[in-house]
Amino acid sequence: MPEFLLTFYDVFQNTYKGFLQAGLLTIEITAIAIVIGTVLGVIFALMKISNSKVLQMIANIYITLIRGTPLIVQIMFLYFGITSIIVLDNFWAGAIALGVHNGAYIAEIFRGSIQGIDKGQREASLALGMNSSLTMRRIVFPQALRRAIPPLGNQFIITLKDSSLVYVIGVSELFGLANRVAASNFKQFETFLVVGLYYLLLVLIFSALLKWYENKLDVDK
Amino acid sequence: MKMMILLLAASVLVLAACGNEDEKTSESTGDQGYKLVNEGKFTFAASGVYKPFSFEEDGKLTGFDIEIGNALAEKMGLEANPVTNPFETILQGLVGNKFDAIIGSMAYTKERAKQADFTEPYYYSGGMIFVAKDNDEITSPEDLDGKKIGVVAQSTYEEPAKELSDDIQYYSSDVVALKDLTVKGRLDAVITADIVGYEAIDNGFEVKEVDKPMWVEQPSIAVNKENPELTKALDQALQEMIDDGTYEKISDKWFGRNLLDIDLEGVELLE
Repeated sequence: MPEFLLTFYDVFQNTYKGFLQAGLLTIEITAIAIVIGTVLGVIFALMKISNSKVLQMIANIYITLIRGTPLIVQIMFLYFGITSIIVLDNFWAGAIALGVHNGAYIAEIFRGSIQGIDKGQREASLALGMNSSLTMRRIVFPQALRRAIPPLGNQFIITLKDSSLVYVIGVSELFGLANRVAASNFKQFETFLVVGLYYLLLVLIFSALLKWYENKLDVDK
Repeated sequence: MKMMILLLAASVLVLAACGNEDEKTSESTGDQGYKLVNEGKFTFAASGVYKPFSFEEDGKLTGFDIEIGNALAEKMGLEANPVTNPFETILQGLVGNKFDAIIGSMAYTKERAKQADFTEPYYYSGGMIFVAKDNDEITSPEDLDGKKIGVVAQSTYEEPAKELSDDIQYYSSDVVALKDLTVKGRLDAVITADIVGYEAIDNGFEVKEVDKPMWVEQPSIAVNKENPELTKALDQALQEMIDDGTYEKISDKWFGRNLLDIDLEGVELLE
């Protein structure tokens, strides 16, 4: 066992510089994917609860397609398909694929939390003379957002971990680098243990931030 | 409301950043008439998991392939820009103009030549069977019948492995495949390049080679078919390197010998 700890420490020592850089790339991809996903999520959630059948249908098609295919297929599809039309490097292709993938899940989260707000809230707001869009912006959405935070946080953590899949298109994020490091130092077990710990650390930091934000939004305090 | 404005601002930023990416010229033409993915740079790809040809060391990509690529770039007066891409999708990446060339130990085959142009070989290597150190039942290719063979998907070892056995396990890294040889009950044999197997043995893997190399293959530089001028320029630069001793210096540094210097008399060349 001590010998294993030594090699583990060796691997850690030799790779932390590279992994810090790769970790930054993982964080960047995750952040971009979260922003794109949230924007798409809000848009498609509103489309889904709108009165227009056409908008509902578009949103349904998008959500079905995304939820019905693996992320790794979507990444490949975007990288080799769409990018033959527009030039995207692998970083952006990966980040956008991850964002579009998340949009579908986030849309469902928002839809659920908006529809979960008591009907009376909306009725009362309309009775006060606010129009429909003002009601959504001032009354319904803020309440829905607070409800959406826990499942959103969960989805963001999933995004962070899913970002490892963009290694298939050659992005040098944590997992991609771990593959190359392991192929070079011939110590797979220790290398993936190290990279696993990095992911764990990132997720823990992320969870703490979310908790803090949830508490901030808590009206009962 | 604030949240919405923030989101909108963020999305605008993202889109703006994408816009900048788009403005990158995808193709620029050098003095030689060849196209480059990034202006002034020779962007070439390797898997990065193929020690000693391309691998990660102290956060930097290095290895024989990478140094050959760097030297070629220098000969052509360009900045070297090595990138990594998993081997299974590396040809697709080349066809999709993600990089200018593959200098990643990709051997020339007739099948691959349908998808990309190849330069002259920049080294020769052998296809070899490796087994666990304590395995005494496999002593020749014929013994592999019905055995479980590990190979890298899309490599030149895939087809011969299929001919020898029906039980194939695919990997994206030769090192992982060789490692699995040392775990009881996972794999019976791995077919890979002799040099790569020896590197693993030098690194303490409990594996050994079987017999002699079954064939010799010709790792060459793959270039997009729409860019024949670049193939020509690379062939020219490679020949210059061989003539002026640059090639031998790099080969000596990594292997203690000149990899192009082998007797091809009576040897089966894989095509």
